[in-house]
Amino acid sequence: MLANIINKFEESFLSLLLVSMTLLVFSEVVLRFGFNTGISWSQEVTLYMMAWFVLFGASYGVKVGAHIGVDSFVKLFPKKMRVAMGLLSVSICIAYCVIFMIGAWNYLAKLHQIHLEMEDLETERWMSESIIFLGFLFLLFRFLQLFIRILKGDAEGFSHIDEAAESLELAAQIKAEEQAIEAGSK
Amino acid sequence: MESYVIPILFFLLFFCMMIGVPVAVSLGFSSIVTILLFADDSLASIALKLFEALSEHYTFLAIPFFILSSAFLSTGGVAKRIIDFAIDIVGHIRGGLAMAGVLACMLFAAVSGSSPATVAAIGAIVIVGMTRVGYPEKFAAGVISTAGTLGILIPPSIVMLVYAAATEVSAARMFMAGMAPGILMGLILMVAIYIYARIKGLPSSPFPGFKKIAKSGLTALGGLMLIFIVLGAIYGGVASPTEAAAVASVYAFFIAVFGYRDIGPLKHLPWKKEGESIGSAIPRNIIQMATALPKSFFNKEVQKVILDASKVSIMLLFVIGNAILFAHVLTTERIPHEIAETIIAWGLPAWGFLLVVNLLLLIAGNFMEPSAILLIMAPILFPIATQLGIDPIHLGIIMVVNMEIGMITPPVGLNLFVISGITNKSMGWAISASLPWLLLLLFFLMLITFVPQISLFVPEMFDKMHGYK
Repeated sequence: MLANIINKFEESFLSLLLVSMTLLVFSEVVLRFGFNTGISWSQEVTLYMMAWFVLFGASYGVKVGAHIGVDSFVKLFPKKMRVAMGLLSVSICIAYCVIFMIGAWNYLAKLHQIHLEMEDLETERWMSESIIFLGFLFLLFRFLQLFIRILKGDAEGFSHIDEAAESLELAAQIKAEEQAIEAGSK
Repeated sequence: MESYVIPILFFLLFFCMMIGVPVAVSLGFSSIVTILLFADDSLASIALKLFEALSEHYTFLAIPFFILSSAFLSTGGVAKRIIDFAIDIVGHIRGGLAMAGVLACMLFAAVSGSSPATVAAIGAIVIVGMTRVGYPEKFAAGVISTAGTLGILIPPSIVMLVYAAATEVSAARMFMAGMAPGILMGLILMVAIYIYARIKGLPSSPFPGFKKIAKSGLTALGGLMLIFIVLGAIYGGVASPTEAAAVASVYAFFIAVFGYRDIGPLKHLPWKKEGESIGSAIPRNIIQMATALPKSFFNKEVQKVILDASKVSIMLLFVIGNAILFAHVLTTERIPHEIAETIIAWGLPAWGFLLVVNLLLLIAGNFMEPSAILLIMAPILFPIATQLGIDPIHLGIIMVVNMEIGMITPPVGLNLFVISGITNKSMGWAISASLPWLLLLLFFLMLITFVPQISLFVPEMFDKMHGYK
């Protein structure tokens, strides 16, 4: 139940960010060509949205197995080795997250100390940049989850994005449509 | 101590990638460890660097926008309209259906910007059609898998944006440079098909008449307009690639949901019902479209397209962010410069360097995903090339063509997987089907490598037009 709500929230938030970025830049273009004006804060806000989009989305990517990676080498090994490699690679990811979280915390603490504000908005930068810490926190959570799943035997390692498989889904869809049309014309 | 930097950085990177760590984390982790060992940057400054990488590059925004626009238009409906149009144009020539397949791949590639998606969408329709009228299936599969690689060469192309992101070369100039090589490769394929068709006596269809061409052209134009909008805005210098991409995705949404009605709340609702008068069709359409706009935000299909595009964009941008950290380590440790000095000391001429680059990229292309290769290799090769007097745009096109070849060579040639999937044949069959065309692609690579003018003349022409030179 809770997992469902979180999932819905993650998906809506990411989609909303992408749509808002697109519409912001689009309206900027319309305003420039149609009305010879612009929105002063548009560029900065769009760029911050991109950072939130990516850093928030990184953990979602781990959950749905969308990260880009190489698995042709790992596949050469027997299952036991694959699990060991999976545990090692997730451990590396956990170390990576922890290092970044320390760095991000120090950085945000400094921003908080000197009360630096954004260029076009009156928001303190430690807030608008807090995703650099939060993003890695969420990422760490997903990596720990994956680590436990590998230990339990529910997973072997990362599942990476498979562009070929996704394209084949499209092909299957097209073929089904074609067949439906052919059946209809007979 | 210094001399350990390169081996440690690269060992860590490749070790991580081999055991299955996501590329983004591999890049970030190896960079951060190298920094901690050899440089005195604070952890806070590294975190800042990553945040800046993701929040200070307006040009990077073009990547999610193009991914979104192609997600809206990478549908069977768009593929079909483009194929119909292509068949009407070249179908009457001998071997015309195969040529139409190539043309359709070129056009769809420009709309979708992705190679495997092009092979899947065009291949699913054209390969069956070709075998039905007597083409050998192997020939059909080879043509489509190769023509599909043009997806990353013909602008707008995501891979080119990634190259621009990695090297800070202008994405607009890359888009100009890709045009001529893309068309040239398409023509080379068509000539090869024509010769083969002459020898084997392959069929041609009757000329459909100009009226039919105009009609299918107009239908396909809805999707193809996207190319004109994007390239027109960029070539004309009126909008940046980011802005053009944002306009393109809004346009793609309207065409997919309101024009073609392939997805969304108006799906399968005709513009004009049978027997309906125009007088009643117009108000019906206006009302339906007005209610469809808010509805489409809650539509499952539209939501899925946006979410899929988000997923792909996030993953790519996360790799790019970490790759910038990696490039930062490379430059602060002056690694490319050292390699460049060594190469110059060897007396290796520019063409020799390019030959080595090609070999390196061809090997890498067999194991890794194009954008990952570009992000790792471009920051290394770019400074070396500059020192040897090679135009960075030219280097970019060479890299892209190499990535194309990687798509049809095993073990990770994505197009091969797609081809074997849609034909229900083995990987081995897909490889042997693509092999003769692979040779053609290698010939094309040599042409691109040693005749820089093919890549450079379009951007230079625009420079002259705008009076920069």
